[in-house]
Amino acid sequence: MVGYISPLFGPELKGNAATVVIYGFSILEEAVNKGIVPAFQKRWMERTGEEVRFYTSFAGSGTVMNQIRFGAPADIAIFSHTLDAYRLQEAGRIQTDWNQFPRRGILNRTPIVFIVRKGNPKGIGGFQDLRKPGIGIVHPDPQTSGGALWSILAEYGAFALAENAVSLKRASLGGAEKGLYDLWKNVIVLASSSRASRTQFEMGFGDILITYEQEAVKDLAQGKFNHELIIPKETIYAEHQVVLIDWNILPEEKEVIQAFLDFLWTEEAQQIFVAFGFRSITDEAINRQNKYFREIPSSFTVEDLGGWKAAYSNIVEGIWKKRILEETRG
Amino acid sequence: MKSVPVPIFNFPWRGLMVASLLLVLFPLLLMPIGAIFIFATRDGFSRFITALAGEGAQFALRLSLLIALLTSLLNSVLGTLTAYIFSNYRFPAKRTLGILINLPVAIPTVVVGTSLLLLWGPIGVIGRYLDPLGFRPMFATTGILLAHLFVTFPYMLGAVKPVLDELEVTYEEAAYTMGAGRLRTFWYVILPSLRGALFTGTLLTFAHSLGEFGATVMVSGNLRLRTQTAPLYIFSQFEAGNIEAANAVAAVLATFSFIIFFILLRVTEGKQPHKA
Repeated sequence: MVGYISPLFGPELKGNAATVVIYGFSILEEAVNKGIVPAFQKRWMERTGEEVRFYTSFAGSGTVMNQIRFGAPADIAIFSHTLDAYRLQEAGRIQTDWNQFPRRGILNRTPIVFIVRKGNPKGIGGFQDLRKPGIGIVHPDPQTSGGALWSILAEYGAFALAENAVSLKRASLGGAEKGLYDLWKNVIVLASSSRASRTQFEMGFGDILITYEQEAVKDLAQGKFNHELIIPKETIYAEHQVVLIDWNILPEEKEVIQAFLDFLWTEEAQQIFVAFGFRSITDEAINRQNKYFREIPSSFTVEDLGGWKAAYSNIVEGIWKKRILEETRG
Repeated sequence: MKSVPVPIFNFPWRGLMVASLLLVLFPLLLMPIGAIFIFATRDGFSRFITALAGEGAQFALRLSLLIALLTSLLNSVLGTLTAYIFSNYRFPAKRTLGILINLPVAIPTVVVGTSLLLLWGPIGVIGRYLDPLGFRPMFATTGILLAHLFVTFPYMLGAVKPVLDELEVTYEEAAYTMGAGRLRTFWYVILPSLRGALFTGTLLTFAHSLGEFGATVMVSGNLRLRTQTAPLYIFSQFEAGNIEAANAVAAVLATFSFIIFFILLRVTEGKQPHKA
């Protein structure tokens, strides 16, 4: 047994190669571990002749945020949304302003879509269809999952647009709230992250999964998607936030971490993200490389809902937590 | 003695009871364990080996074994010492302390993890003073070890203390009259009689540490190739939809626990005749 354990103390760990620790939200795992990290390691080797070692951990965005708040050794964190970045900033873990990064630290984006069973037996086409009784929805848990928050904003925004059809700013609130209420009555499973809710859907729960487009497109590209992807006419673009956890970064790590950060917005990195199903934030031309991306007729962003702070307190706290969570529980 | 009338038809109560017990136990206990192994070999043995040979899986298994080994070693010393003090000395608040040290059996492991974070974490009661010194036990191997020491503490104690309590004082007194000091008496008289209990306690501790999840998930940080233990690997891979990878490691852990369980069974059964 000692012989089996001994590699733990081997040169792998002792070597003086630089190390970077990344904590990311759930759906990034494959794109980062299989795409971004190896590509950067190659570039870094070409540039400096040195190795760089990466350690990664992935969970629901809120879980990741809390782990870092309680001391997890992340150098770089990639959150599902900017709200988790604000929370860590308030906790004193972040000093570097992410707005100085390219695209204000938004790494990539992906719309919130539906995954339904093959043949779409329940005939689901848009958010209005999810209000009908008898539909089982698999949803990530808004307490720990960033994708779940994006989903709530997508649901609210889509219902608000349906009410008004012109602009979210003038939409009647009552109708959107009623829509959200009807939809949440149909939620049958809450999973801790978007990735976990996908697994639950795969295990046979529910008729429809509300999730990131990336979940479906990544599998479509690999030819192992055996459900159906439905892109609603109105939906939100989830935009993912990169931050530096200054609190954990040692002076000697700064250079490699900065290089990694710069790498994330290069054409090479953005192409990798597109190959793994994320939509590029830097260039629409890169997005044309993925044949599974469709045009979304009326897409909106969190800015259209007044920015994260307002959207969270008005929609997630004010409506979902205060009213819907209470009422649908009974 | 009254003679029992022989019934014409002997209703097979015994057979029925055993059959219904099996009917209940089969889906409750046996089938779930079986499912791990059936699933593991479903797509052929080579897929199972590939899943198991992955860097992440290998690291997680190694880390879990290392932690279990360290936990058993440290707790066998700590547990024996505690048991010795408890059965040999009187001191104030002994009863209260006795209850407290057995508490880990009853506390939910998630609570253990949370409390460790609130103590040693960077915003914790002690952690906030350690952090400026660059010492961060949480989200590192130290944190995992602390959690496992806490959670498994009572197992060693539970195995050793009853033996110490029953140990004849005369042997000890004889040793003292022959001029042996406390240390020599402990080493040559007490320790040998504890061999069986130490072995059982160590195996129990090892088994529990190997499978510990609730406290570990809170304090480890779940870093692949750094702080991800085997149970965390299973959970993460399952959540990520890599059911094969999760299942391969699960099958290995299950096999380990079978082996440990059967050794324990042999040891305790083998001891019975001596006692009688």
